[in-house]
Amino acid sequence: MTTMDTGPHWRHARGDIPFAIINYAGFLLFALVCGYPFYYLIINSVSANDISALGDVRLLPVGLHLSNYEQILGLPGLTSSLLVSIARTVIGTGATVLASAFLGFMFTQERLQNRSLWYRLVIFTMYFNAGLIPVYVTIHTLGLTNNFWVYILPAIVQPFNIILVKTYVESLPQSLQEAAELDGAGIVTIFFRIMLPNMTPILATVAIFSAVAQWNSFQDTLLYVTDQRLYPLQYTLYTYLNQANSLAQAAQNAQGNLGAIVSAATTQTPTSIRMTVAVIVVLPIIFVYPLFQRYFVKGIMLGAVKG
Amino acid sequence: MFLVVLPFLVLVFVFSYLPLLGWVTALYDYKPALGLGGSEFVGLQWFEILVSSETQLQQIGQVLANTLAMSFLGIATSLLPVFFAMLLNEVRSTWFRNTVQTLTTLPNFISWVLVYMIAFSLFSTSGLVNTTLHDWGLITVPMKFLDTDQHVWLTMLAWSLWKGLGWGAIMYLAAIAGIDQSLYESARIDGANRFQLMRYITFPQLMPTYVVLLILSIASILNNGMEQYFVFQNAFNREHIQVLDLYVYNIGMTGNSLSMATALSMLKSLISLALLIAANAIAKRARGTSII
Amino acid sequence: MRSHKAIAMMVAPLLGILSLAACTGSGTPEDAEAVSIDQDWSKAEPLTIDVFDGPANYQGIQGGWFAKVVKDKFNMELNILAPAVAGGGDTLYNTRVAGGELGDLVIVGKGKQADELVEGGLLLDASPYYESMKNVSAYDTAVQYLNEGKDGVYTFPTVVSSLKPTEPSEGVDPTFGPYLRWDYYAEAGYPEIGTLEDLLPVLKEMQDAHPKADNGKPTYAMSLFKDWDGNVMTMAGQPPALYGYEHVAFAEAKADGSDYHGVLDPESQYVRALKFYYEANQMGLVDPESTTQNYDTMFAKYQAGQVLLSWWPWLGQSAYNTEQNMAKGKGFQIAPMQDQTVLSRGADVYGGGLIFGIGSKAEDPARIAAFIDWLYSPEGVESNSSDNAGAGPKGLTWEDGPDGPELTDFGRKAILEGGDEEVPAEWGGGAYRDGGSALNVSGVLQNDEDPRTGYPYNYKFWPSYQETAANPLTEDWSEHMGGATTTMEYLQSNDQLLVAPGASFTTPTDSSEIETMRNQVKATIVEHSWKMAFAKDEAEFEALLAEMQETANGLGYEKVLEVDLANAKAQNEAREAVANEFG
Repeated sequence: MTTMDTGPHWRHARGDIPFAIINYAGFLLFALVCGYPFYYLIINSVSANDISALGDVRLLPVGLHLSNYEQILGLPGLTSSLLVSIARTVIGTGATVLASAFLGFMFTQERLQNRSLWYRLVIFTMYFNAGLIPVYVTIHTLGLTNNFWVYILPAIVQPFNIILVKTYVESLPQSLQEAAELDGAGIVTIFFRIMLPNMTPILATVAIFSAVAQWNSFQDTLLYVTDQRLYPLQYTLYTYLNQANSLAQAAQNAQGNLGAIVSAATTQTPTSIRMTVAVIVVLPIIFVYPLFQRYFVKGIMLGAVKG
Repeated sequence: MFLVVLPFLVLVFVFSYLPLLGWVTALYDYKPALGLGGSEFVGLQWFEILVSSETQLQQIGQVLANTLAMSFLGIATSLLPVFFAMLLNEVRSTWFRNTVQTLTTLPNFISWVLVYMIAFSLFSTSGLVNTTLHDWGLITVPMKFLDTDQHVWLTMLAWSLWKGLGWGAIMYLAAIAGIDQSLYESARIDGANRFQLMRYITFPQLMPTYVVLLILSIASILNNGMEQYFVFQNAFNREHIQVLDLYVYNIGMTGNSLSMATALSMLKSLISLALLIAANAIAKRARGTSII
Repeated sequence: MRSHKAIAMMVAPLLGILSLAACTGSGTPEDAEAVSIDQDWSKAEPLTIDVFDGPANYQGIQGGWFAKVVKDKFNMELNILAPAVAGGGDTLYNTRVAGGELGDLVIVGKGKQADELVEGGLLLDASPYYESMKNVSAYDTAVQYLNEGKDGVYTFPTVVSSLKPTEPSEGVDPTFGPYLRWDYYAEAGYPEIGTLEDLLPVLKEMQDAHPKADNGKPTYAMSLFKDWDGNVMTMAGQPPALYGYEHVAFAEAKADGSDYHGVLDPESQYVRALKFYYEANQMGLVDPESTTQNYDTMFAKYQAGQVLLSWWPWLGQSAYNTEQNMAKGKGFQIAPMQDQTVLSRGADVYGGGLIFGIGSKAEDPARIAAFIDWLYSPEGVESNSSDNAGAGPKGLTWEDGPDGPELTDFGRKAILEGGDEEVPAEWGGGAYRDGGSALNVSGVLQNDEDPRTGYPYNYKFWPSYQETAANPLTEDWSEHMGGATTTMEYLQSNDQLLVAPGASFTTPTDSSEIETMRNQVKATIVEHSWKMAFAKDEAEFEALLAEMQETANGLGYEKVLEVDLANAKAQNEAREAVANEFG
């Protein structure tokens, strides 16, 4: 049963063992190459900031300290912005997944008049860029500025996700839907009872894409939100980083207090903040990710048809 | 039928099509404070200004060459995520596969600015690679990895592959999970081995997804984004690293003149759409069915 | 003409406010009667105002002791919108302006931005309040100058000064100067430095004597960065300032009006600076990572003592002149370069480059007017300028002493030791630094005299501060610099300072044609400049120079330069005028 879950059965062929060795070794190597940078960020964010800015921390932390994390986790408003982030990620992802599943499915249905026209109109928007100002004016006119729903509504219809779902649905056996239609099921019933359960792998993908996008997004806040209570985590961290940056630049105009340097090792630099922020933002993703992974390994369930 | 999709189409119309009216600002010297009525009407000036001198044409030629080169390299390597997913699917140990998958998506979450910092730490003249090579006696003079005009396109390709490969494979992993298991069973009954299953079942089953994505990427040939190139650019590699998006940013068209920026993005939108339609037509002729 | 108006009319309803802003703006100015701002605002309804603040480095609600001061006086909270922190360049400005509402209190650049805001009706005519704005009326000349040609009082000046325009506006240190690691320079026996190029052998000697810093990494005489490159390569734009030259985009002008030319002129100070870097690089004095590192990495190298020369006090000194290092006699100090005439900007009698304005949709404009007025009062200036050498609020960080004002114990800790010091609860609590004003621009120049004390607002000028600031480093420096106590004093007494009179000149907006050409030319200049600094040999250097000139010309350099030269000359005329009037 386990092998059933993890991949197709095969007959042993010559070259299986060497193939497996090379395959494992190759992935191990690439995984290390991909994992190292994140490790690099972790060790640098806990190393002395002046040494890490020189790029000298590569294998083990130097001058271990946690003041970067203490500073950032002590930012005012962090808890509320974390809640906003969670809210927009959960609600936004739910809405996008449902909409993508539904539209992706509907665009395969010949019963939808002019379906290819509607489909194309949706796809085309991927390549349009109206510019920030007209979009801002539209959203402002709709009363969505300083409004939580500005995070959700514009993100509901995602052409790319719809394409993925539609392509996936087209690869499903026709017999699935036909059987249900013979039973007299309506379109909504077919969608919820038959199609949705069979779409889980692609919906998991869409969910990952959408959740990561929601979690990482701060551009919309920058443009549409000035109310601090609606700042998501990413924006709070991003402004904190920008503050550090612009303070460094401001030195050009105003001469800072020369006596104001206490310890270079724990004085935050834009670099140290950037790395700490990256770790704080990516860690939750790493922990949530496995929840989705199991959907990639389950083979399609064809019980109804196979029976 | 139509009524159930209507709410979604309204969203698309309101957030994507309605703002397109703003394209009209490309014909003005648009100043937000003064509104359209108070801004000067300039006709096609912004389009003409793009190509007003010979040196400029030369520069734009080089920029387009870079843009196309990097896009084509990207398209040429677009099968790699497919192979990545297929090979990962052959790994039988679940924990190993999940770990690999998690680790390989990590680079996708690290911003380019940080990627450059790591690159600097490893590849600068006093970076890890140069010091190691020097300690081993392989080089005497530090090698210039970051500020050289050699192999810029390939280096950039390598970085973007490293960053995007694991992430790009997710869609294909999902597609593999969706393959009808009965296909494998009947093939096995016919005596197919592992490699034959990969070649004759898994790979063809991934093709619809791949072809759709391929067409989408052909349509976005002009859009390489700029972040990656921005962080890696310096005076010494600029000639070959400057892609269209970066060029537009570098010469400040986006910051100072809103109308110029609008004109450019309008032009790009139209070219992309034309490419999309052309690619789709070719696919239709080749495969018999229209993709989009 | 007709047809495009028709287009605008047609799309106007669909575009909503995109076109609307202008219409509301052209409303007739109300000849409202004078409204007095003179009342006790602390009893007014609580109010939170949006402050669109161009120079701010903080975004969000103002907190800490400054918030307490404002709350107590005006029962008002400040919600700072900082484009620099929000990111995205002018995006925040453009979108909010397109939406017809920038903020209740607006701090933006004068000239282009302020003018279009007035024209578009986004700023309020403050004439009704102006009469009762007692503090700002003291600078009526500046206010009138700023609102010349406008039918009302829309904008108020910043960093305005009653000093002569020929007095430096900087504090005790100029903005530019050849700052060397003084301890190594002393070891080398204080060699004479006649001119810019003479720095090279001196630096070579210093670098050879100390090839490695304390952290074991190599030292270099200079280390460069590219983050701030704009019209020209920023690092090559600094040496010209040591000779009183400044860059008005591509024009290189001597601040006394005696010399004008383009930066690409073979005889320009800019090309001289490139040659200087080229020669330094040939001598092994330039950090090879200069081309690829960012500001942070370079700053860390200064902190670690790996770099020996800084063109700015606020780079070398703020990175390396820690209490600890200075106590050991180590640190950056200005070198006695004999032919230098360091550029300094004079005090602006008409105010600096930014303005205060009241948003046209502000809920309670009278209160905002009162707040603006307060920013020019002694109490306002003291409180509002804590981050730029300002002393902070009286009673908290400083007190009147026998010889003028002096920092309190709390003040010394809070201001001189990093600002982490906890503020007493009656002042609002929190760390001192976090409670400082986030406006980041002062109504009045810090060098101006505080009428309450008779001394400048800037505590670094106070005798009580200067007495305690001496250390082995500054003592040794002072001894070899003719007994000067500050850099400014040394430069002034040796006639090595060239003050450009503060005329508050703003360069006019480019036409779109010039702007487009400028943007292309500057990219090519920056790229070639770097290549020249790192050229293999003299021949390559010259070839690159020729190529840079040719490419730039092909992109319209000469046309742009014409504009820049005209701007530079206009600026000089404005300076002469102001110097004659107030000098």
